[in-house]
Amino acid sequence: MNCEHAHERIVTAAYGESAAGEMQELERHLAGCPECREEQEQLLALKQLVEAHPVMEPDANLVARSRMRLDAALDALPPRRWYERLGQRLRNNFANLEAAPVAACLLLALGAGAGWLGNYTLALHRASRAAAVQMAQATKQPAQPVATAETGAPAEIANISSIVRQPNSHRVEVRYNQMIPQRIEGSLDDPAIRQLLMLASQNSSSAGVRNDSVGLLASECRAGHSCQAAGIRDALMVALRYDKNAGVRQKALHGLEPYVTEDVRVRDAVLEALMNDGDPEIRTAAINILEPVEADTSVRQVLHSVANTDRNPYIRNVSRQVLSQVPEIQ
Amino acid sequence: MNERKSAEERTQARASDAELIREAQAGSRAAFDALVRQYDQKVLRLALHLTGSEHDAEDIYQEAFLKAFRYIGNFRFECSFYTWIYRIVTNLCLDRLRRRKTRREDGAVLVNHSGEEMDMLAAVSDDRSFSNPASELERKLLGERIKAALEKLTPRERMVFELKHYQGLRLRVIGEMLNTTEETAKNTLFRATKKLRTQLAGLR
Repeated sequence: MNCEHAHERIVTAAYGESAAGEMQELERHLAGCPECREEQEQLLALKQLVEAHPVMEPDANLVARSRMRLDAALDALPPRRWYERLGQRLRNNFANLEAAPVAACLLLALGAGAGWLGNYTLALHRASRAAAVQMAQATKQPAQPVATAETGAPAEIANISSIVRQPNSHRVEVRYNQMIPQRIEGSLDDPAIRQLLMLASQNSSSAGVRNDSVGLLASECRAGHSCQAAGIRDALMVALRYDKNAGVRQKALHGLEPYVTEDVRVRDAVLEALMNDGDPEIRTAAINILEPVEADTSVRQVLHSVANTDRNPYIRNVSRQVLSQVPEIQ
Repeated sequence: MNERKSAEERTQARASDAELIREAQAGSRAAFDALVRQYDQKVLRLALHLTGSEHDAEDIYQEAFLKAFRYIGNFRFECSFYTWIYRIVTNLCLDRLRRRKTRREDGAVLVNHSGEEMDMLAAVSDDRSFSNPASELERKLLGERIKAALEKLTPRERMVFELKHYQGLRLRVIGEMLNTTEETAKNTLFRATKKLRTQLAGLR
């Protein structure tokens, strides 16, 4: 053992992190090396010295204050939107699955989601029709849809927020929201435009619209244009996870690529894509994107699993290759 | 200070955590609150020691647990919940350390009873002044000097030293928390101790 090694071993020994056999080797070296013994003295002195800046227990008032503030903040959070709750439910299902029943549970989760969605829109539709009818009855006039200033088309009813029947009467109060078609033009730096693009990435029924919006958001992210604060990264991750269209998912993955090293969530989202995405091109792209973090424990675990269980032989092969590139550190 | 739980205790703790986590993932606020209670004092302790400010520690606490609430759905049980929470907290702390401007620290020279300037490391090795600081002032000055030396480390070095020396965590766990390998954490620790030794040895 040379002295440089010994210095490092001295530190690991001082902190109880010596590997098997290292302690004896170190003792032997120290027995014959006064400089290194001095080094050890110095390190032990340092350990003692830094205790002059001791770790203090947080004062009870600080703890109480922090807890109350957190409680208030959590209480103030808006209730989650229906697609966020659905997404959460799907994610939880995936998290709890073993390999074999994956397909069955997947169908179940999607079926439940679709069924619930279907009922939701049906109920919405019925409610809006019922409301329109009641409105007509209450006012004894045909319901007049409000024309928009811009397009002149009648405004659709978006949803009904409350229906209150006055006691002992035929009168009903209905609160509803109207959808008014609008348009807006602006630059990609405009926060309003970005907000709409993010909504479009999740909320549009047209794959073409989602494709366009995710494509734009992804290129913003790759160019490094403040992609985190406005939640664009999040929107891309949701698109990567849930969009049914493979082209959209590919664009999202492309947009997230520059952040895989610095953002653990991005890395995990790409890992999920590698494990669960149905499209082999996307899974392959995911492997390539993960190369900068291929030494991470979680990444290696997923690569091991993919190397054994992916149905595509090329992907199994590539995973094995990547694993063999990084030497096992432990 | 070091928590050396037995392996059995740790397994048991993880099992009961797992139930709470699943409930919290399903939306139970009560379960999330229970999880917070388990770890929040430790989080405050860490943030307080690193930032030196109750105000900053409180902010970090808020941000960390709000993030945890938001992203608990992403927890995949690949690591312990403790590691996951600490990963969030250390990232926030690192951000804060990076944002802070480095104070230029002239530092107070430590003087013993006879009015002689002290080489602090020598003093400690000699076991003279340190074990019985003559006054509160000496103790306080020493504390300030240590803080200043710690502030000269890079944020990552500071973090690794904090987690290893002051919080007693294993290097492997530190690596997981900082999203790196045990080897890298070890090397960072070497650099940190070397730098601290240079800072604190002989002030003249």
